[in-house]
Amino acid sequence: MDMPEKPKSNQGDAFKVIDCDVHPYVKDGIKSVFPYMPDAWKQRFIRKNAHVGSHARPLKYEHPNGNVNRVDARPPCGGVSGSDPHFLVKDLLEQNKIQHAVLNCLQTGALCSTLAGTDESIVLCSAFNDFLVDQWLTVDNRLKFAMSVPSQDPVASAAEIRRLGKHPQIVAVSLPLLNILMGNRYWWPIYAAAEEMQLPILVHVTGPDSVYYGPPMSSGGIPDSYVERYVTLCQAGESSVNSLVFSGVFEKFQNLKVIFVEYGFLWLLPLLWRMDRTWRQLRHEVPWVKKSPVEYVHKHIRFSTQPIDEPQNPKDLDKLIELMGYDQLCFSTDYPHWDNDMPGQSLRGLPKSEREKIFWDNALNTFRMK
Amino acid sequence: MSKEIKNVTVGKISDFPVGKCTIVNIDGREIGIAQLKNGEFRAVRNHCPHKGAPVCKGFIAGTMLPGDVGELIFGRDGEILVCPWHGYEFDLNSGQQVYQESPAKLLMFPVTIKNDDVVVAI
Repeated sequence: MDMPEKPKSNQGDAFKVIDCDVHPYVKDGIKSVFPYMPDAWKQRFIRKNAHVGSHARPLKYEHPNGNVNRVDARPPCGGVSGSDPHFLVKDLLEQNKIQHAVLNCLQTGALCSTLAGTDESIVLCSAFNDFLVDQWLTVDNRLKFAMSVPSQDPVASAAEIRRLGKHPQIVAVSLPLLNILMGNRYWWPIYAAAEEMQLPILVHVTGPDSVYYGPPMSSGGIPDSYVERYVTLCQAGESSVNSLVFSGVFEKFQNLKVIFVEYGFLWLLPLLWRMDRTWRQLRHEVPWVKKSPVEYVHKHIRFSTQPIDEPQNPKDLDKLIELMGYDQLCFSTDYPHWDNDMPGQSLRGLPKSEREKIFWDNALNTFRMK
Repeated sequence: MSKEIKNVTVGKISDFPVGKCTIVNIDGREIGIAQLKNGEFRAVRNHCPHKGAPVCKGFIAGTMLPGDVGELIFGRDGEILVCPWHGYEFDLNSGQQVYQESPAKLLMFPVTIKNDDVVVAI
């Protein structure tokens, strides 16, 4: 079958691009990371056939087109889209003039949030992190990494950040969320370690969200299809922003930064209006919130752009971003997933100077890249 | 057009219990008279600058001062008027919302004590 020619998406754009959301796929999963774990754990996983498991989602949440990955992003040598770092560099970075791509491994995230037991997740998390450092970051210096943490154990998570967090290409901590709001003190050891290492916390849906008990759930009930579930995944982002601010996380960790990746962002404006109004009315219940929630969010929280919503009138999107302020957003592709956005086709209605902030400056000021 | 200020006696000191807002009517305008703990008086227009609520039907209280996470520090007892509708807290010394920059504030009138009389300049 002839495939259509890919758009040369960023050609003609003069500005630089940081892509905040790229998904490496570890071919052969757990089996590939056996060399990075103690032998006893390897034997355990072999004996329970963990190395051949697909960890499939229930039928109703499988992608209606059969694959969440772009079929045109499969490496020429075969394998799953996103599984060959050399091809990813060529297909994503060089095609789109991307200077830095932040890798976030969802296999690790799903194991840590839900699919593995607590002790298993600690071992697997370190093994996947070490595999990616060893076999991906060495391929190209433009590849940066949001290292994962075994979030079922916050103390072990903090230890993992301190073990690995000094690597120069590690630019963030990818935190697989549980069904515990982000302001909860459960998370504070992780925030302390991340702040100490000057790494932002990156949160992203890990896969089992709204499917299994463990990660965040959609509000109001269980979705009935992939489409329903997809649309509601942003709800955890909204709840988390609210929780972070009113629980006083940014008073406790005054240098902490958080980036919400792939949760959308247009919901932020009405959320902030409501948070601000309610704080002005009932501030005395949370007196550690010493200034308007709007100020905390603008100082500490950023949002990735993909998947960019598409109002019927595209200018409505430009207007809403103007209302939000241009400092809140960081560009992301979500390569190689089906719903990715490429830089050349994204946010073209914004003024050039503001577009540069979203494609470069804001991420540079968020991730540990300087 | 400038309006002339006039002094209106609204009652005796003993008519206004400490820590309460007592509403009086001056030429058709509802004014809340409050005696603070330190013996000072305040006269407040019974109109919340937020959404027009009868603010003087709220209550006078203290509030939680800004503090560390998880810590409550109660203070300013008797200096804060709390609106009965949306809970906005107003400082009875300045008329401003507490700990917030807001252009909207309570409309307050000067009060003097002459002998035992409470006199509002309105």
